[in-house]
Amino acid sequence: MNRIMKDPRKTFGSAVFNAAKNNDDIVVLSADSGGSSGLGEFKNTYPNRYFEFGIMEQGVVGIASGLATTGKIPVFCAIAPFVTSRPYEMFRNDIGYMRQNVKIVGRNGGISYSDLGATHHSLEDFAIIRMIPDVVVLSPQDPGEIENAVKTMLEYNGPVYMRIGNQSIPELFERRPFEIGKGNLLKDGKDVAIISTGTLTANVLDAADVLAEKGYDPMVIGMPTINPIDEELIEFAARKTGRIVTVEEHYIPGGLGTIVSEVCSRTFPVHVKMLGVPKTYATSGPYNGILEFYGLDVKGIVNSVIDFINK
Amino acid sequence: MDSQKIRYLKNIAAKCRRKVVRMVEASGAGHLGGALSCLDIVTALYFYFMNIDPKNPKMPERDRFILSAGHKCMAQYAALAEKGFFPEDILDTYGSLHSKIPGHPDMHKLPGVEANTGALGHGLSIATGMALGLKMDKMDSKVYVIMGDGELPEGSNWEAAAAAAHYGLDNLIVFVDNNGLQISGKTAEVMNMEPIADRFKAFGWETEDIDGNNMEEIIDTIESMLRKKGKPKAIIAHTIKGKGISFTENNYKYHYWKPNSEELQKAICELDAAIKEETK
Repeated sequence: MNRIMKDPRKTFGSAVFNAAKNNDDIVVLSADSGGSSGLGEFKNTYPNRYFEFGIMEQGVVGIASGLATTGKIPVFCAIAPFVTSRPYEMFRNDIGYMRQNVKIVGRNGGISYSDLGATHHSLEDFAIIRMIPDVVVLSPQDPGEIENAVKTMLEYNGPVYMRIGNQSIPELFERRPFEIGKGNLLKDGKDVAIISTGTLTANVLDAADVLAEKGYDPMVIGMPTINPIDEELIEFAARKTGRIVTVEEHYIPGGLGTIVSEVCSRTFPVHVKMLGVPKTYATSGPYNGILEFYGLDVKGIVNSVIDFINK
Repeated sequence: MDSQKIRYLKNIAAKCRRKVVRMVEASGAGHLGGALSCLDIVTALYFYFMNIDPKNPKMPERDRFILSAGHKCMAQYAALAEKGFFPEDILDTYGSLHSKIPGHPDMHKLPGVEANTGALGHGLSIATGMALGLKMDKMDSKVYVIMGDGELPEGSNWEAAAAAAHYGLDNLIVFVDNNGLQISGKTAEVMNMEPIADRFKAFGWETEDIDGNNMEEIIDTIESMLRKKGKPKAIIAHTIKGKGISFTENNYKYHYWKPNSEELQKAICELDAAIKEETK
């Protein structure tokens, strides 16, 4: 399918820039990371609200907390593992426990920094950040959703972690307001429910088309909020289809698949097949090559779903 | 500085030390040594320098106090109670279930607490962000921080130290409570961070070494530091761990104190006598 492709970082940066026009409290913090996060225009237009710190992510997360206590809305974007795993205790205590209105954005999430290897991959961020009470975790799926999620995130008063990718991603949806905690039924169906998040929803939609051609009728749910999760929609999917496949660019344990399983086990238990990256230091190489290797390309998803339905 | 004012502050410090022991008595144990070493500084800040209002603890123009070494919180609780931020009987809930004064401060439980410290190496970053935000808003407020000397090896401190100097945060005044002892023994032997002042100076800070249990010196130094512009300030306060109780002074074993009744009575007698002495 031919779709319009957009750079997620530029999309994110311009959404912050647009929101900042009407809100003087929005400030951007950079750990030598602002330019590559699409925030160059913000820096040039609002130099007094753009703070460069150099490479010191732990310090920046604490500083963001302090700034927020004075009414600022700090936005800090850098490579995902460097704003999650590295400053984890600062995220937990200074942002979470202090409940500060700080927006941390992990870019190049998942394995999208493909050839740079495991140090630059982020495959545990959903798992660890959702363990911090009161932190919203977002994983928008297409450029329009990134744009609207940024707007909503900046209007919401509280700590948020958002993950975006690296490579250009296709426009998938009509523009619609973003609601924290709500998933979307993208396609109704009865044979299986495929629930996905982030950039991989594009592959899931393509896989659903292939499955339809092969005579299957899958339901597709997009889940751009990881925490708090849309329990109602998961239960609906479980009751209607009786089996769920989850798809995410994250370790299989701890991410969306785990969360969906938790919800099913207490609402309507069904089998859940989890597609993602096994808990290992993922291999490196071209992005699409890695996705294919872990069965997260369209073909891999189609095969896993068919196997699961016919099991 | 007139001597009457100094006597008043010393008396407050003596009363606050007595309150610290009251909390230990209530809970059966507590981080005593560091609370007592920094108490004269805490007293000077709360009762002489800081623009704060117990009736309006969130007023935007207030000065901020961040206890980076959060385990010394009994010192802060004593000062807040003495200042009227909360009723004194809350001191007797130290260590009890759902207490508003837990073993490390919680800003959502107690008015006057600005940050949830306790994990070491966090306070300076938070304070740097506060100082930056206040500068942006052209507020005259100051941000005061007390760090422990034992937390200086935490790398995050030096990230914040670089940032505070880079942004010229002269509204940030940091005390290093340099009592020289930590839970495992002498700080210089556990991990030597000397010369502390030179390290801060190298990062671009104004620095001063003082006797951190000498009220006159504390007051004079803060006053002269506040006049200096352009750089964040680090005051290396040479203090005595366990200050104010004869048998706990300079003994790292009283970092965390679980007193028996004899020790407790002795401490109470000494501190009550000190209060009397200062009110003479």
